[in-house]
Amino acid sequence: MAKHETPLLDQLESGPWPSFVTDIKRQAEKKPECWDILGVLELSYKERITHWKHGGIVGVFGYGGGIVGRYVDLPKRFPGVEHFHTIRVAQPASKYYSTANLRQLMDLWEKHGSGMTNFHGSTGDIILLGTRTENLEPFFWDLTHDMGQDLGGSGSNLRTPANCVGQSRCEWSCYDTEEACHHLTMHYQDEIHRPAFPYKFKFKFSGCPNDCVAAIARSDVSVIGTWRDDIRIDQAGVKEYVAGNYPANGGAHSGKDWGPFDIQKEVIGLCPTECMWMEGDELKIDDKECTRCMHCINVMPRALRPGADQGATICVGAKAPILDGAQFSTLIVPFMKISKDNDFEELIDFIETIWDWWMEVGKNRERVGETMQRVGLPTFLSVMGIEPIPQHIREPRSNPYIFWKEEEVEGGFERDIIEFRKRHAA
Amino acid sequence: MALSKEELKDAIEEKATKSPKPQLYIKDFYKCDPDSKPRVIKNVANEMVRDGRLMFWSSGSTTMYAIPGRIQNEEGA
Repeated sequence: MAKHETPLLDQLESGPWPSFVTDIKRQAEKKPECWDILGVLELSYKERITHWKHGGIVGVFGYGGGIVGRYVDLPKRFPGVEHFHTIRVAQPASKYYSTANLRQLMDLWEKHGSGMTNFHGSTGDIILLGTRTENLEPFFWDLTHDMGQDLGGSGSNLRTPANCVGQSRCEWSCYDTEEACHHLTMHYQDEIHRPAFPYKFKFKFSGCPNDCVAAIARSDVSVIGTWRDDIRIDQAGVKEYVAGNYPANGGAHSGKDWGPFDIQKEVIGLCPTECMWMEGDELKIDDKECTRCMHCINVMPRALRPGADQGATICVGAKAPILDGAQFSTLIVPFMKISKDNDFEELIDFIETIWDWWMEVGKNRERVGETMQRVGLPTFLSVMGIEPIPQHIREPRSNPYIFWKEEEVEGGFERDIIEFRKRHAA
Repeated sequence: MALSKEELKDAIEEKATKSPKPQLYIKDFYKCDPDSKPRVIKNVANEMVRDGRLMFWSSGSTTMYAIPGRIQNEEGA
């Protein structure tokens, strides 16, 4: 039985698509506090103002993240959501769940919270929506002791690292994303659970340039698998595709008749750097021009594979739109070996060099990508001790000035002006 | 020369107590000892939270520090 009249929200159930209003009403039959979510949202639609208060001091003992305080500003009218805190639970690597684990988690959340969830937040965590302050510690105890799971990151912490399915299921993965993500998660427990930075900081690990976890769009350090030798070509496989014996794109898009496969039109003609051609019935690639867009490999997976000398490209500085608009991460290291044999030492050194600089130079609530933009890429590269390379340059310079450093100029900046004037009269 | 850990804790507490703003960013504490590395200051501030001398306030995206009692607890507010 509905507790509040919700005519505006009811309209959202009338379309052909699934409605969150229906979902919340269904949940409210079990958890009456969910009626108050609908009530407060209906009021916000009418008054065009939010009734949620922002932030709070809630948390669990020893942690400075993972719980986001949420309160409503009309607690007498909507007592069910007087406290409605969000809990972020770290997702398993690659988001592999057993149904037993999901059932246990849901039982736990029905016991201690509203039962409402968001699978998953943009960082990758399991988001559990709505509980009271007094339920936080009991929930945390059961989560950690009975389920062996942990809270994720929030606030100015390192956020829960995320990775694609990697080599567990994907033949294109150029390094073990699960191992890398797990190792760094364990290595940086303090940074995940306690605030450390001027603002949030995210890692994401994608095994190949298809970038299935959107590392380049969302993470401050994007570790994206790549290779530095040549794409491996099976010419017999190419012939099978050309003959129409293998379905393009692994059979995806097969719900419609697209006509016979045309390698010229569907692969060679779509190569962004035009580095492919046919010689007779053999496919040729000028690999030094390849930008690892993955299109040809995606279309002909049984004929083309990433090269064998594999590692990752490291890009820095992505963020979703907040103040300044969305920003992709910028290429900093074109190729780095990512290996557990040395405990990911090179990657860890790279990350900590960024942190040491950003913690000092970054402004409050400034993502590292914004700091980079503010100081300029040359300064950032110099901080990182990285020599500029052509791939760092987005476009040719638009002004003729070159700002030399004194150490780059023979003899420094000190000049004998009298000697100079002998040769260049004023 | 960098302050000792106890001196740094006292300086942070004084800063958090006297600041007109009840909640401070971690960077606000850097000024308590310009000779200490940001990571050292962060570790000391987090230790003070464990000791109950400071507390976290989080918006969800950003975390700030405050002296217990200087900020309003939203519960019952």
